[in-house]
Amino acid sequence: MVKAWIEDLKRAAYIAEKDMKVYFLKGPNLIFGLILPISLFLSFSIGRSVDPAFAVPGLVAIASFFGAGAIQAIALPLERRTGTFNLLLSAPISLFAIVLGKALAGFFFGAILSVAYTIIMIPFSPLPNIPLFFLGILFSSFTFSSFGLLLSAPFRDIPQAMPPATVVRIVLVFICGVFVPLTALPLLLQVLAYAMPLTYSVDSLRQAMSGSINTQMFLIDLGAQVLFSVFFLAVTVWALKKTTQ
Amino acid sequence: MEIAIRVQDLTKRYPNVLAVDHINFEVHKGEFFGFLGPNGAGKTTTINILTGVAKATSGAASIMGYDLSREPVKAKEHIGVVPDTSNLYDEMTAWDNIVFCAKLHGVSKEKRENRSNELLELVGLHERRNDRVGTYSKGMKKRLMIAAALVHEPEILFLDEPTTGLDVQGAREVRGLIRELNRKGTTVFLTTHYLEEADLCCQRIAIIAKGKIITEDTPEKLKLSIQAEQVIEVSFDRTMDVADKLKRLSNVTNVVTLGDKFRLSVADSSETLASIFDFAKVHSLKVVSINTLKPTLEDAFVKLTGLRLEVMSIEKEQMKPNRG
Repeated sequence: MVKAWIEDLKRAAYIAEKDMKVYFLKGPNLIFGLILPISLFLSFSIGRSVDPAFAVPGLVAIASFFGAGAIQAIALPLERRTGTFNLLLSAPISLFAIVLGKALAGFFFGAILSVAYTIIMIPFSPLPNIPLFFLGILFSSFTFSSFGLLLSAPFRDIPQAMPPATVVRIVLVFICGVFVPLTALPLLLQVLAYAMPLTYSVDSLRQAMSGSINTQMFLIDLGAQVLFSVFFLAVTVWALKKTTQ
Repeated sequence: MEIAIRVQDLTKRYPNVLAVDHINFEVHKGEFFGFLGPNGAGKTTTINILTGVAKATSGAASIMGYDLSREPVKAKEHIGVVPDTSNLYDEMTAWDNIVFCAKLHGVSKEKRENRSNELLELVGLHERRNDRVGTYSKGMKKRLMIAAALVHEPEILFLDEPTTGLDVQGAREVRGLIRELNRKGTTVFLTTHYLEEADLCCQRIAIIAKGKIITEDTPEKLKLSIQAEQVIEVSFDRTMDVADKLKRLSNVTNVVTLGDKFRLSVADSSETLASIFDFAKVHSLKVVSINTLKPTLEDAFVKLTGLRLEVMSIEKEQMKPNRG
């Protein structure tokens, strides 16, 4: 049993490696993962006096949010349309491991982009707690990659998958405390924000950047992201079973 | 004989169509089994269920004794799949594709490279191994798909319309490769709508139409099963007045003249053959050629399915708007 799980995990890693090789440099991936977050950030920040300790974690979070999700809006629908997904389905590997492999590819892309943005922003905003900030990036990237899979699971083509996923992400950016503090939002939106993984990601990164860590709150942020990831992956597997088979 | 594939009461229902309707069959280990039928008959749906790509609505299927619904991973360890359209990554090289397939099937690192080299040599693509698959022709992709499907040395090879869209030479090469694999012990499950291909390659055939298996037997027995009367074709050095005289022979029920040949419908071909030689001697005729004609698989298909032969030449592209 344990041996079978290890084999499944190994094969999930091979799928992640393949996805990175095939999709990392695809045009839509670079546009939605690399350019959109910085465009959103600049359009909100330029001309306003924004505290870098508040703004930079927001930028890093949305880089992870868009980056980790962008590859999912391409890889999964494209593979289902072209038939390459059937190669995975007919291999001796569980559907969960296939989904996990795809989530890992998005995780790496999101994490790489976030780390790149962090390094670029260090001159503007010092980073007092580097390990916790990077821990926040890792948890966020995996959660957002899983979220991206969930959003693309019903679709079989990139033009179908990309617009709804992008719209959902942009809406979430404005209600999850990236640019506007949650306390400034109406109560209903605050409740909605706490049902979204981006809120916990932004909060964990902001804590790590501010240097004043509330351990309990930080752990809640990470724990919430783990629960979100499990939920997103489970629903993705269910949706793929329903729509593929 | 050991059973490689067992299908019991297998059914697949889509919202608007019953694609596979309670089918049953078994494929023995080492056998070359053909699944013959027109496009849209349920062949690809059946192969998709047997390879884990689709789930059956009801019924059961097992691969090497492993039930596909209960132990899908175990079952899939024993199979290699060559689908009707490319399942390889156009963005990757042939080498990367085949190595990725090896990894997915748990082939050890030491074996992976040797096996990939061997197979690329076998399918004649070793020289082009570092080219992206997107630059390959249809035939090259098909050969690479076969190599990728064999990388883990599967006991059963599923091939869905492997020669569709290939030129005559390409189709011949692919058929030769598959036959060679079967000769070496691989169980082959081949779906095709080419009757000649099924006749040339398969040891046993199941004919499927509208989701149901119409019949299942060896190609020769299928042909014999529709042989109500036997036919002898004969030509002599002269044709004048011969047809009328042939009609008077015992056992001959009808004579049709086709150019310089006479096609005789007879009750018993062995008895009539002797009578024809006597007939030639009596009338001072020289027999130029004489053949007993057997029904073809095409004849059997038409008779058994009640379908017109043209349905077999309708390609998948034409079927798409009507498919569920």
